[in-house]
Amino acid sequence: MAPSSLDVVLKGSSGRNTRGLLRVIILCTIAAAAVSSRLFSVIRFESIIHEFDPWFNFRATKYLVENGFYSFWDWFDDRTWHPLGRVTGGTLYPGLMVTSGVIYHILRLLTIPVDIRNICVLLAPGFSGLTALAMYLLTSEMSDSPSAGLLAAAFMGITPGYISRSVAGSYDNEAIAIFLLVFTFYLWIKAVKNGSIMWGALTALFYGYMVSAWGGYVFITNLIPLHVFVLLCMGRYSTRVYISYTTWYALGTLGSMQIPFVGFLPIRNSDHMSALGVFGLIQLVAFAEFIRGYLPGKQFQKLLTSMVLLTFGLGFGGLVLLSVSGVIAPWSGRFYSLWDTGYAKIHIPIIASVSEHQPTAWPAFFFDLNFLIWLFPAGVFMCFQKLKDEHVFVVIYSVLASYFAGVMVRLMLTLTPIVCVAAALALSCILDNFLVASTPSTETKAKATTEDKSLRSARNPVVGIYSWFSKSVVVASVTLYLLMFVAHCTWVTSNAYSSPSVVLASKLPDGSQFIIDDYREAYYWLRQNTPDNAKIMSWWDYGYQIGGMADRPTLVDNNTWNNTHIATVGKAMSSREEVSYPILRQHDVDYVLVVFGGLLGYSGDDLNKFLWMVRIAEGIWPDEVKERDFFTARGEYRVDEEATPAMKNSLMYKMSYHNYQSLFPAGQAMDRVRGTRLPKESPQLNTLEEAFTSENWIVRLYKVKDLDNLGRDHSNAVAFDKGLKRKRATKRKGPRVLRTE
Amino acid sequence: MRWCLALLICCLAVVNALSSSGSRLLAILEDTEQKDLYSTLWADLEARGYDVSIESSKSEQLALFKHGERAYDHLLILPPKSKGLGPSLTPKHILDFMNKDGNILLALSGKTATSSAISSLLLELDIHLSTDRSQVVVDHFNYDTLSAAEKHDVLVLQRPGPLRSDVKAFFDGEGVLALPRVAPQTLGDSALLSPILRAPATAYSYNPKEGMPAAEDILATGSQLNIVSAMQARNSARFTVLGSVESLEDKWFSASVKTPSGKKTSTVNREFAKQLTAWAFKETGVLKVDKVEHRLATEGAELNPSIYRIKNETIYSIEVSEYVYDKWVPFDVPGDDALQLEFTMLSPFHRLTLQPTHRTDTSTVFSTQFVTPDQHGIFSFRVNYKRPFLTSIEEKHEVTNRHFAHDEYPRSWAITGGWVWIAGLWSVIGGFLAFVIVWLYSAPVTDTLKKTQ
Repeated sequence: MAPSSLDVVLKGSSGRNTRGLLRVIILCTIAAAAVSSRLFSVIRFESIIHEFDPWFNFRATKYLVENGFYSFWDWFDDRTWHPLGRVTGGTLYPGLMVTSGVIYHILRLLTIPVDIRNICVLLAPGFSGLTALAMYLLTSEMSDSPSAGLLAAAFMGITPGYISRSVAGSYDNEAIAIFLLVFTFYLWIKAVKNGSIMWGALTALFYGYMVSAWGGYVFITNLIPLHVFVLLCMGRYSTRVYISYTTWYALGTLGSMQIPFVGFLPIRNSDHMSALGVFGLIQLVAFAEFIRGYLPGKQFQKLLTSMVLLTFGLGFGGLVLLSVSGVIAPWSGRFYSLWDTGYAKIHIPIIASVSEHQPTAWPAFFFDLNFLIWLFPAGVFMCFQKLKDEHVFVVIYSVLASYFAGVMVRLMLTLTPIVCVAAALALSCILDNFLVASTPSTETKAKATTEDKSLRSARNPVVGIYSWFSKSVVVASVTLYLLMFVAHCTWVTSNAYSSPSVVLASKLPDGSQFIIDDYREAYYWLRQNTPDNAKIMSWWDYGYQIGGMADRPTLVDNNTWNNTHIATVGKAMSSREEVSYPILRQHDVDYVLVVFGGLLGYSGDDLNKFLWMVRIAEGIWPDEVKERDFFTARGEYRVDEEATPAMKNSLMYKMSYHNYQSLFPAGQAMDRVRGTRLPKESPQLNTLEEAFTSENWIVRLYKVKDLDNLGRDHSNAVAFDKGLKRKRATKRKGPRVLRTE
Repeated sequence: MRWCLALLICCLAVVNALSSSGSRLLAILEDTEQKDLYSTLWADLEARGYDVSIESSKSEQLALFKHGERAYDHLLILPPKSKGLGPSLTPKHILDFMNKDGNILLALSGKTATSSAISSLLLELDIHLSTDRSQVVVDHFNYDTLSAAEKHDVLVLQRPGPLRSDVKAFFDGEGVLALPRVAPQTLGDSALLSPILRAPATAYSYNPKEGMPAAEDILATGSQLNIVSAMQARNSARFTVLGSVESLEDKWFSASVKTPSGKKTSTVNREFAKQLTAWAFKETGVLKVDKVEHRLATEGAELNPSIYRIKNETIYSIEVSEYVYDKWVPFDVPGDDALQLEFTMLSPFHRLTLQPTHRTDTSTVFSTQFVTPDQHGIFSFRVNYKRPFLTSIEEKHEVTNRHFAHDEYPRSWAITGGWVWIAGLWSVIGGFLAFVIVWLYSAPVTDTLKKTQ
């Protein structure tokens, strides 16, 4: 009786329910797997905010929770960008902070007191579970096969390309933005399919949420119009497309303009012009369709041609005029660097200096996506076979995202969802064909031949697999690949993407773990030993961390809105003390922080970033700071005895190596990052004094001396304190300078 | 108990009344037998409330610091004959004493060569002595014919007036000074230095042991030679150099002198010594900021807020008193000078003269009113008043100048230029409503016609 009882469960209406229940259970399991695989860092280290930008988001969230929404909206932050300050409320994407704030308040309402830090740390894993669900919905729209959606959800849940930005503690905009991206696309596909105002409005709503959460919303702003444009070009205009696009554009643009940081960009910035253009185009096409019903063919043709020419001429002329007159802002530098990878290095060093803006290396694709990357083209090919409106979307998305992912490392993130969709389509097709236990009947064969499709590739009849051998081989190999994928994802997540980078871990020779906690040591020193408004100067990388962990005002931070201010810091770091000191005084700097990896062999230190400081400073003061001066005559970047005078006299060099030689026997000082032997004498600092050096010398803090009490310059004062006698300027050259009152 | 405490505080106030920065005065003499020469000076100082302790520079237990703190408030150094001032008074100790707010009056003498330790100390302060350190100022027009008819090295000078028209005079008055055997100093270009008494234009200096000066080896001539000069460090610690120690001696306090052109008069050295020591030990020329207030110009605004908005009307006021011998009095800015306020972010956005608005018994309140600039950022109210002979005022108060909040802009109907858009908006809404009404009530007519047909 066992088979019959199974039949009851698996067939008929109760069978549908069973499958539905199974699907829910599988999705929940996938979401759980997605969340738990992101918890490596919490288990291995602690519940801590990672890296740089998350520290700002965390600080902003705390401000929001403490001061309420309106003061967050009008927040003028006087603890960053000293003395300029930052209109933070108007220059950030508030979606992330507001989301955590809402969660915090809901939990409080339910009388679950959770620390805001834990909400922030766990927000990204939580949303990755939602992303997996959204992925299921999106892929289910693309395919009739029920397995495609589940596979896509599973892929999205654990693929390293997405995990890299969403491990626990990686509290960044991308944490919620990828969910919103996928879900917005799902709603868009739904809207195009149904031609419904409701779905269009929902798309606009989630688009608005996306705009509030991440600058990458421009990707949606351009992809949806492109989808519509391609559909129009393919002659697939329909009222469904018209309704969904106009609804989305009108409501979505209004929604996006509510974010202060975006403001009027949607109607002024070139990045947004394609959406506006397509909006105009679709009105014209709709009008033409309307006219067609009332006019005979020949007259309509004439009207259409003249209208097209006129509109194109007017539109293009208008665009050029507005761009030249400056009403429409020119393309932003980040955008140019998408087309020409060398552009940023020449024109905007500040963008090029960020490692995640570098072009992607080829192995990274396999590293982040594993076997999905070779299933991806197959999935795209299968979209060509069906080529309904939503499949056109997948094709466009894949082409665009592939290009962008090749140009910039961080855009791998936007490629990942579509790779998961395409790979799931391909894999589900394979499994659907090879997992069918029964042999295909001739009936289906006849049905397949009668079907006629436009594309030749689709015309071949699909019959089925007869041989048990080929079935088992293919299924076994696919299973093997899937298992390897899981193993790879887990390995990559645990090894590459789960380091907080605030705390460094290394292995001792005996295999035990050695935690390097210098950053926090130094930040807490600052927090506990300096006045509340002591200004800290450091290179901009550490600005957010100082603001977050040390709670002290900084000169520049990772929100690189003012290139001149960053160049000022670069100039202070790369100039002689006599030049730097007035800059430090003018900006009220109390402490200077440098990161030095020479003792430990930590390669991400300031001396290795130093050339970027020089370059950025040179961009503003080409006469005073010259990159060439930091290279030897043979073009080498050296820090040893042969270093150039500009290098040896620069503040950065002096601060890095101050007193470093005293750690070693005379003449034996080694820099383990650059692998060179250092000069015998450590550099002499006059205007700064060492305040703190962390355990492994990674972070070094210097206090800026006040002006000498007796009006001497600092080198003379230091020489006097050392007991050197001042040489009297007995033989003056030229006429005697008389003192006048 | 309370009145006891009050009495104690009163007593302390009386004891400390004379100098604004303490009364412990250490006088250094090479050998203490010399002290009888200056008995009037000691008596005058003690009469003004100083606890004068006289020590020999050779003394073993002499120490400027005790437990890392100053053991004395003021230091009076009379010139030693030997090479230095001993191990407890090295230039480093003396500069440390200044860095810890101690005041120093150093007397030199042209009679003997100045020690090299003192010369190098003065060099740190940018005060220069001649290379041989044993020159004397002579003037063939302003000398005392009674005591130095031959050598012309006892100068007879008027007391100095104000240094510039915008500087207060602390050393002026009637009568002449006799300054025997002055060791001259020249000053470097530091803004911290200022001459108290300069030699007349006809003076020059030479080494009496070597005869007439060689033309190329002249320290300086005329008014570039300083007889008394002053240095005020950034922390307002004072260092005064007096070129002629003999002028402090009892015999010159009441001597009669006669210039080549004038008649016989008695000197006012005692008066001048009082003025000089009073200034050097911070009895005069000391400024104090009692209170700094800034607030919005509206009634009942919060005092000293940490945040302002751009384009706020703001009032700033500062209360300054000056110490004159034994009490605080309201400070008056000298005629050609002005006390100024800067509102600064990187560079000053405003530099305004503070006007005296009202006076209390001990202080003057200066204030001004201005509109904060249309630039958000972290600004500071700065008063930076550094003048010769006055202790410096350096007040810096950081405030944030924020942008308009979202609800502080004028509403759309308050902007006349916006009325066009508002009219457009409402006409579209009205038009749409009208259209809907027309549409709703005009449709069914054709239907009924068709049905009847």
